[in-house]
Amino acid sequence: MLRQRENSDSFKAGALSISVHVVLLGVLLISFNWKTTHPVSIANVELWDSLPAVAVQKPLPIPEPVEQPKPVVKEDVKPESVIEPEPKTQVDIVIKKKPIEKPAVKEKPKELKKPDALAELQKALMQDELKKPQKKPSDDALKKLQQESLSEDKAEGDQKNLAAKAAANAGTIGEFTNKIKAKIRGNVNKTLCGEGNPELKFEIGLLPTGELTGNPKLVKSSGNAACDDAVERAIRASEPLPVPTEASLFSQFRNLKLTFRPND
Amino acid sequence: MNASSDMSFFTLIVGASLPVQLVMLILIITSLFSWWYIFIKVATIKRAERDAEDFENTFWTGGDLNKLYDGIAANRRKPQGMASIFEAGFKEYARHKQQVRMEVSDVMEGARRAMRATFNREMDELDAHLPFLASVGSVSPYIGLFGTVWGIMNAFRGLSNVAQATLSQVAPGIAEALVATAIGLFAAIPAVIAYNRFASSVDRLSVRYESFMEEFTNILQRKS
Repeated sequence: MLRQRENSDSFKAGALSISVHVVLLGVLLISFNWKTTHPVSIANVELWDSLPAVAVQKPLPIPEPVEQPKPVVKEDVKPESVIEPEPKTQVDIVIKKKPIEKPAVKEKPKELKKPDALAELQKALMQDELKKPQKKPSDDALKKLQQESLSEDKAEGDQKNLAAKAAANAGTIGEFTNKIKAKIRGNVNKTLCGEGNPELKFEIGLLPTGELTGNPKLVKSSGNAACDDAVERAIRASEPLPVPTEASLFSQFRNLKLTFRPND
Repeated sequence: MNASSDMSFFTLIVGASLPVQLVMLILIITSLFSWWYIFIKVATIKRAERDAEDFENTFWTGGDLNKLYDGIAANRRKPQGMASIFEAGFKEYARHKQQVRMEVSDVMEGARRAMRATFNREMDELDAHLPFLASVGSVSPYIGLFGTVWGIMNAFRGLSNVAQATLSQVAPGIAEALVATAIGLFAAIPAVIAYNRFASSVDRLSVRYESFMEEFTNILQRKS
């Protein structure tokens, strides 16, 4: 391997050779950012107690819902007070039963009294049972009435608000829908859709970040599978799609049906 | 897919398939050896050049050749380079000179042959390991490329089972495979540079030795 006259250098050269490699490895490890972190697009999640329309409704119809629920609540309280005695009677029955059963085992003469006591208990129970069905339907009916009245209020409020807001929002919603369509249209490979004017519908779910929640669903095919695929690819390529930042407006974009005419 | 995939140098090497790992191992060993030889050659060629410089200086100062020969022969170290050529030539010349019947041309021819033989031996020493560096320079990129091709083949084979092909499924495999090419190039580039540099240095030294041989022959001829 080595010539005789090279022996004197061999150790020095070996050490230098190893050090060159160590230095290069060090440079590689330091200079390169080997840990590649893909930019994680953070999906904003909004937690809502109720539908956005209700939240919007608040400013206008405050007086109406406040006035009506009050009497309903009062009615509610009354039946509850009536119901209260029920558990008491039941508890009494339980207490009565125990003393009766124990003597029945120990003393025979008292057995004669037992049927009477049982009959009384049965009567009491019967009366309770009669009372219960009478009261419960009334409670249910009251609750139903209350809910209906509330929901009617809400519906009325919704209609009023929607009518007012829709007029204001319709413009922005349309604007964003057009923006989305335009962005997707730019990514469609039109040559795949051939001649003619095919029309296809896609249903897409959107996140507030403008990303798709799932796969775009083909609602109406153009009849040309290549064209459908081209549009679907275009939808994917257009992520993130432009969506309004306003929560109330965005609700319109959660599920969006889009109609495409690639050759238009 | 996880958001941050660990693409550190070590995971790339550990994650590669066995043939690719073997290729990497071969290339790293080759690189270590080629650098070892490079440093050895740098040292030996530098020393040979320095020796030639020193010897030419002492030779052309015009001292007595006998004294110079004695000094070289008495040296504990075996003479190298130009000194060894001078020693071989002068020894042969002196030996022939003692035999009275010899023709001058025969004496010169003998001394020349002796110097030529020593020159060849010296050139062999100087050329040592250069073929190895040349081989490393030309072959190690191919070895690295082989590892890369193998790794990419594996990466794409894994892709065949997937309905929807994404770049993130092939990218790690290709990155792993490309490490082999990187190591191959790392071994090859210094080897090629060193080979070219050493080859030219050795050529210059051989020209120096040969011209010295001719000049020394002339001096010997004048003496006899």
